[in-house]
Amino acid sequence: MPDNRISRREFARRAAIASAMGSAAASVAPAAVVSAEFSSRAAQTPPSANQAQSVTPSAVSAPVQAHLPANMARLSPESQAEADARLHAIMVQYGSRFTDEQKADLGRLCAVVQPPLDRLRAYAFQNGDGTALYLKPLFEREKKPKPAAGSQPGAPKPAASSAEPASDAAAKL
Amino acid sequence: MPSEELFYMPVTELAKRIESKQVSPVDLTQLYLKRSEKFGPRLNAYARLTPSIALAQADAAEKEIRRGHYRGPLHGIPYAAKDLLAVKGVPTTWGAKPYANQAFDYDATVIEHLNRAGAVLLGKASMIELAGGMNYRFASASLQGAAKNPWDTSCWTCGSSSGSGAIVAAGLAAFAIGTETWGSIICPSAFCGLSGLRPTYGRVSRYGAMALAPSMDKIGPMARSAEDCARIFAVLAGHDPKDHGTLPVDKAAFTYSPSMELKTRSLTVGWLTDAWRTMDPSVAKIADFTEKTLRKTFPVVHHVALPQGPWDDAGNVIMGIEGAASFRSLIRGGQVSELADPLGQINGYVSEQISGADYWQASRVREILQKKIADLFDSFDVLATVSQPLAATPLDFDLETGLSFPDPLGAIGNLCGLPALSVPCGFTEKHLPVGLQFVARAGDDFGVILAGRTFQSHTDWHRRHPKLA
Repeated sequence: MPDNRISRREFARRAAIASAMGSAAASVAPAAVVSAEFSSRAAQTPPSANQAQSVTPSAVSAPVQAHLPANMARLSPESQAEADARLHAIMVQYGSRFTDEQKADLGRLCAVVQPPLDRLRAYAFQNGDGTALYLKPLFEREKKPKPAAGSQPGAPKPAASSAEPASDAAAKL
Repeated sequence: MPSEELFYMPVTELAKRIESKQVSPVDLTQLYLKRSEKFGPRLNAYARLTPSIALAQADAAEKEIRRGHYRGPLHGIPYAAKDLLAVKGVPTTWGAKPYANQAFDYDATVIEHLNRAGAVLLGKASMIELAGGMNYRFASASLQGAAKNPWDTSCWTCGSSSGSGAIVAAGLAAFAIGTETWGSIICPSAFCGLSGLRPTYGRVSRYGAMALAPSMDKIGPMARSAEDCARIFAVLAGHDPKDHGTLPVDKAAFTYSPSMELKTRSLTVGWLTDAWRTMDPSVAKIADFTEKTLRKTFPVVHHVALPQGPWDDAGNVIMGIEGAASFRSLIRGGQVSELADPLGQINGYVSEQISGADYWQASRVREILQKKIADLFDSFDVLATVSQPLAATPLDFDLETGLSFPDPLGAIGNLCGLPALSVPCGFTEKHLPVGLQFVARAGDDFGVILAGRTFQSHTDWHRRHPKLA
């Protein structure tokens, strides 16, 4: 029968690590910190078989970088750290569910999802841009001054004379 | 023995024969059921047939029509519904093993609308598990296995309305109902040589439909012509107080009659120059030919480029997060492991990790995109390009690598809730169909239908059908 008791000091140490892991996915942690966390957990807290949500050795020893597709550009250190943290968060919460093959695939997916996020975050907004609460499609343009006639030579002319949706216009016929 | 042509007859033709009592709804239903029993399993097209419902509805339709009570163009017409639409008492599996025994005690609103129109439900169409909401790598990501393309059964129909595509292409029903969050009506319509309408977001109620990404989910018809799509859409569309995503009564309703087209405008078409980064050479050839056809068919066709931006990325973030939220209990409970696809079994865990800040960023990008696209439609009535840059892919194709090319028009159309119609525009050397896609501003579903009708009045691609052995 294994002795599962832990010291108060060990409990506090594990709690601190768990807390750091939990927040890693939502923050951009410096690469060095995350790497240290990976290696720290690998060295100090090997998973036990009876832990429901354990972090398995393969997940810990093979961070996301090891699973990058060959044709994928290298991530920046910050992005790499974020992808690693994402994988780690999944492993902390669900690690016992996956086969080694799935863990490797998760590592790849955690990396693959990063460049789209980086591109999206780089999109610059203006101060007056909308607040993202308008999820329904725009039916009618907000009123704006019409461009002066002939101001855009060569531009195709709208065939529809009405700003009204054609279906509605047609329905009135 | 009925002529093969009967099974491929458009709804508009069948309707004329039913109304004039030349074709009996009961006979037609029995013929379609027999054909579906024969070919359905070979194509993995159906989740299940519903013969008792079909025959009862057909019998009722026939009696009503005999009494002189003709309800309209769908009365007595057999159809199939994607297996994510609730039909009272009938299993609704969402194509996924964890829901294999799920049944609802009510009908989805679209099923109610079709019931009221007198349409006949032949069965539930197979589909990609959870409509691809957890992502998928292989065509086999379905409770029924990979849906086989009637044009070449070694190829896939595309998804997630995979069974709907197979059913209509094989002449197993007169039309089918599909759904699209991103590509799931347009792609199967293109791969299967069908006319498929993705309506404006909010015009068709999703009540009783599986929710994947509620800010992007749409329901629409897959049929044999743009006119058929218009007829079916007129039945499906309308405000529904049970779906808060539906548009107001005056904006949601859609009416159609061919005479409307006589009094409407001629369309200005924008031929997209950058919708696809690369195209399969056989599709590129058809695209060139199609552009020439459009120039002969429409008075004004100009080249146009899409606005540049991270639209695909925003779409993926929004769909990923909304999908993870919709299936949170499945992910957290671990039942995603029961899904058929290896990618579907794990991808939800990654989507769940994307932050709220990223969702917000994507939503702001979406807002900006809507305005940019509204500007574009100041100059054009419809945008056009081929529906997919390649034809139907082999059944064992790795979709994660092979079908993961950028799709800015798909992202734009689905993020902005724009209507789109795919119509057949040619065939590759391997006799696989290629689709042409029209996209219009939000609310102008009539615009894409008119474009499709105009194109189909000058071409006959939509009248071709596969020969089933």
